[in-house]
Amino acid sequence: MKKTDTLMGRLGLGIASLCLAGAMTAGFAVAAPGIPHDFDSKGEKIFNRYNETPLPAMTGTDGKRTLNTFYELRQYPGSPPRIPHKIPTSFSGEIFECISCHGRGGYVAELDAYAPVTPHPENEACFQCHVPRLTEKLFVENDWQSIEPPVIGRPQLGGSPPPIPHSLQLREDCIACHTGNGAVAEIRVEHGSRGNCRQCHVPMVATKPVKEFTRPSK
Amino acid sequence: MTVKLDRRSFIKSAAATSAVATAASLFPGISFADWKKQTGSNGMITWKKAPCRFCGTGCGVLVGVSGDRAVAVKGDPKCSVNKGLCCVKGYHSVQALYGKDRLTRAQVRKNGKMVEVPVSEALDLIAAKMKETIKKHGKDSVAIYGSGQWTIPDGYVASKLFKGCIGTNNVEANARLCMASAVTGFLTSFGLDEPMGCYEDIENANVFVTWGNNMAEMHPVLFSRMLAARKRKKDVILIDFATRTTRTSQAADKSILFRPQTDLAVANAICHEIIRNNWVNWDFVNKHVSFHKGKTNIGYGLEDHFAFKDKAENMTFEEYKEFLREYTPEKVEKISGVPAKDIRYLASLYGDPKKKVTSFWCMGMNQHTRGTWINNLVYNIHLLVGKISTPGNSPFSLTGQPSACGTVREVGTLTHKLPHGVVMKEEARKMAAEIWDVPVSNIDPKPTYHTVEMFRALDRGDIRFMWIQVTNPMVTMPKLKRYRNGALKEDRFIVVSDVYPTPTTDVADVILPAAMWVEQEGMFGNSERRTQHFEQIVPPPGEAMSDTWQIIEVARRLGFEKQFPWGKDEYIGKIWEEYRRFHASPKHNMAPYEVLKKRSGVQWPFVNGRETRWRYNAKYDPAVSNGEEFHFYGKKDNRAWIWARPYEPAAESPDQEYNFWLNTGRVIEHWHTGSMTRRVPILHNAVPSSYVEINPEDAAELGVVNGEMVKIISRRGEIVMPASINGRGVPPRGMVFVPFFDEKYLINEVTLDAFCPISKQPDYKKCAVRLEKA
Ligand code: SF4
Repeated sequence: MKKTDTLMGRLGLGIASLCLAGAMTAGFAVAAPGIPHDFDSKGEKIFNRYNETPLPAMTGTDGKRTLNTFYELRQYPGSPPRIPHKIPTSFSGEIFECISCHGRGGYVAELDAYAPVTPHPENEACFQCHVPRLTEKLFVENDWQSIEPPVIGRPQLGGSPPPIPHSLQLREDCIACHTGNGAVAEIRVEHGSRGNCRQCHVPMVATKPVKEFTRPSK
Repeated sequence: MTVKLDRRSFIKSAAATSAVATAASLFPGISFADWKKQTGSNGMITWKKAPCRFCGTGCGVLVGVSGDRAVAVKGDPKCSVNKGLCCVKGYHSVQALYGKDRLTRAQVRKNGKMVEVPVSEALDLIAAKMKETIKKHGKDSVAIYGSGQWTIPDGYVASKLFKGCIGTNNVEANARLCMASAVTGFLTSFGLDEPMGCYEDIENANVFVTWGNNMAEMHPVLFSRMLAARKRKKDVILIDFATRTTRTSQAADKSILFRPQTDLAVANAICHEIIRNNWVNWDFVNKHVSFHKGKTNIGYGLEDHFAFKDKAENMTFEEYKEFLREYTPEKVEKISGVPAKDIRYLASLYGDPKKKVTSFWCMGMNQHTRGTWINNLVYNIHLLVGKISTPGNSPFSLTGQPSACGTVREVGTLTHKLPHGVVMKEEARKMAAEIWDVPVSNIDPKPTYHTVEMFRALDRGDIRFMWIQVTNPMVTMPKLKRYRNGALKEDRFIVVSDVYPTPTTDVADVILPAAMWVEQEGMFGNSERRTQHFEQIVPPPGEAMSDTWQIIEVARRLGFEKQFPWGKDEYIGKIWEEYRRFHASPKHNMAPYEVLKKRSGVQWPFVNGRETRWRYNAKYDPAVSNGEEFHFYGKKDNRAWIWARPYEPAAESPDQEYNFWLNTGRVIEHWHTGSMTRRVPILHNAVPSSYVEINPEDAAELGVVNGEMVKIISRRGEIVMPASINGRGVPPRGMVFVPFFDEKYLINEVTLDAFCPISKQPDYKKCAVRLEKA
């Protein structure tokens, strides 16, 4: 598969002009000794990504990925998506190979598409969760059902920032999925330049019941 | 939705009320709002400007109105504070108006039970009770306790009634618990309160140092302004200098942790290094700075009737340098835990003449038993290198509440203050008596009680009547049990004006339903000397009325019609124009009412139609009159004061028995005690209950995992609450942190009522506790 073998090599070219810099997994703050990096739902990632991603890379538009194609690759809201493109047979699924496209995104000439950016580049064994599909035939039919995906938007009042409808586990890096050319059209934000996403958007997970405040009884 | 819908049944059900939800499930990805629809709405929204109800950042918001209800919010693009952006609290603020248990009727305690009464009956009872108490126990037995969330007119009429008419200085506000050290810091260093700089410093600085200040959560809009400036300019760095690792640390270029209370030593060590490396801006220092020292070993205010008065003495630069000899980076490393190289690094940032440095701080430095001192010490750093009063060079004391500056600091709703000057000064009393139209003999020249002592006086019985407005002290007072028991004692009469039931209304004898925020006209004043007017945008519910009007009604019942003559449709404008007379000078002039109504906030000093961006700088400040580049006209010697202030330990530090520091504070989602934000669904769902943050290693030693219950025990009390490990923030080993918004977990049962002897502001950040697995 000569063609796909060169896929990796060409990827960088499309994005060279954007001058992306910085390693995706490098810590930004010099954290105080003894303090873990991963608190607050790994919120540090948002700030790092924000600093490393040039504004043009956040504001581009492609529109090819839509919520429909997004959910086509998933079995339920939040499941790891399968790999929709061909990959070399020798491919091990290791971080370096996937991350060359999915670390920062960018245009892929072979697929005439922008690569989506992973929100969790620190997990290096990509094949642990993401697998290609080599046949469309099922072994036996299956009566699988799941819930509707969360309705997007759902602001609490007209024009207010919508809450985060999904759990933050493995999806802590807002900027990875919600900005840039590779982002799903319906969930791409126009204001990625603001940086501190959770200043306005807080989790209100669609699959959890809404809690109502009541005063503790005396 | 398990029901399968065919096209026909879909169309049928589309006519029903569930149509939107149904359609949403058929077309995933399309956005359908799920709020209850306003009946009879024509779908049009009118937008009206207001300052945000919550934090001291003072964002401008536009409140969307449909009919008589607030239905939406957006950032006000005309407001220079936030330029159209808000935080999650601001965006959902209007939902706080519509909580189900909103107080709409007056209640009076009859035979131990609260019963609803017409509001006029409640007002009659308040006036009668005040008269009776004054007659029996003297004028200093009645008190009012207000808030940095009072509007400016609220605070002004409270001061006029109590100080001018009744003649007692029993006027305090919760800003004593949040800003008093900032005020005494400014007064001792510069002779005038409030920052010299403004938020435009953010776009001009190269270095930001946050001193014990989690801006990412507490001043979020300013924080994102800072991030945007860093991203745009590339030569900007952010240093987080704190006792706990937070969202701010995550965004910072470097996070430096110090042991609680040792910021005093580190600030001195930075000055030591600046002098040793000869980074001093001598031209600036020789012209504009003088050196001073005060008393040491000043105590902690733990006992009733504690009194302290500082005494300033002049010193020479050489004597100041000698004082700093104790504070070498190596010695301070031992006290503070901050590596000497990090202290030198901080000093080099302040000392580099090519860098513009802005320091930000808020409660970390103010809620500190040496709060005045640490404010002085950070000013020292900026003064030694001359980095002050110019764009980007700014020691910036942020305020917590939306009108702590506007109402408490500028109107002077503190026991020793008048709208202009202090009660101890005869000219100030004369000025107030003239403007208020009362005999000058009415105004007592002796201050009475600061907040902690006021609640102690209530407990002792020196105060018998207390009116509490727009604040929730039965959650926020340190060492809470004593003050709650005091309020519940026989023969104490407590009036509470609020918008929701709280632990404070639980101890009330009368509850007055209050208008909230844009249900009344008023003004706030934010952290950067900006006064922000809002009109009445929606009507208050039931019999609720503004706190200002409640006070006016009671004042008239007490016989002060002459001092409170205004009509209901004009009173805010009239009060503003009367109040403005107190500040008529180029050092503090406030904008006229008509200007305030038009603009999204106006900064004072407002002189000849222009706002003053940087005070004490001849280029920007019309009050500068010495012909020099800078003029620190607040002090008699026309200089800014550098203070030799030593490191002294906290009132209570961990020991063998109580081996953890307890630190308390806020989260981005909740405002103070949560009485408003917990009634906003999205905010409550994001953080539904409080928790105790524990360092993962300490948690492992204790044998608790995330969410398990932990007992926190101090010498004052104990509380059981769930553990949070690697949650919103992470304390270092030996410290726990608890957000105070949750009335179910009253952390102030455990805290200590030690305060700064100069500012009288309690320290909510430091006391000793031990932990047990519960
Ligand atoms: S930052 Fe403060 S003032 Fe601005 S929207 Fe948020 S709470 Fe309101």
